[in-house]
Amino acid sequence: MKRQLTITKKAIDEASLLAGRAVSGGAGAVVYFTGVVRGTEKGAAIEAIEYEAFEKMAERQFGLLFDEMEKRWPVESVRLVHRVGVIKVSEASLWVEVVAAHRAEAFAACQWLIDEMKRVVPIWKKPLAG
Amino acid sequence: MKVTVTFYSYFKDLTGCGQAEESVPEGGTLDDLFQRLAARFPKLAAMEKSTLMAVDVDYQPRSYVLKDGDEVSLFPPVQGG
Repeated sequence: MKRQLTITKKAIDEASLLAGRAVSGGAGAVVYFTGVVRGTEKGAAIEAIEYEAFEKMAERQFGLLFDEMEKRWPVESVRLVHRVGVIKVSEASLWVEVVAAHRAEAFAACQWLIDEMKRVVPIWKKPLAG
Repeated sequence: MKVTVTFYSYFKDLTGCGQAEESVPEGGTLDDLFQRLAARFPKLAAMEKSTLMAVDVDYQPRSYVLKDGDEVSLFPPVQGG
């Protein structure tokens, strides 16, 4: 399984990520997800979220998740970008792409990866009011 | 022996610092370390049940026996995405 992980302070460039997509002849499904910053947090309006990562450990934990994902589903490739720093409302904080032979495993693997990321990858958020 | 402890997220606010050194006796565990830190930083004590602990880049249970020079991290539940 090909894997690509990026933790960056730069804005997520979805156009170039899509342009860089690599799909083999055996792939029949590409699932991708973009997480964006919502304008409310616990009912209160916010302007941005500041994301903090323990980057070295985050890379390690993402690596373990990719290992586990590969054991569970026949995934061809995964690409994941998580932005850190201050991210304004409506801007992307997370981008994930899973390529597989069939949609069932692509959807399942993508959903699982995001759920597990929220459980074990050391990234935190702090809402910033206007 | 001494271990270095790094705090992340709002644990930095609770302790008032990003990093601290703490002494633990030979054979001391992560739980022993937490109790010492809770006594030193009382606001941490209330977070005991939700505190996650790692040594280097891996999560470890409270029973983990510390070694001299271990780099320990303490942080609240993660919230990526």
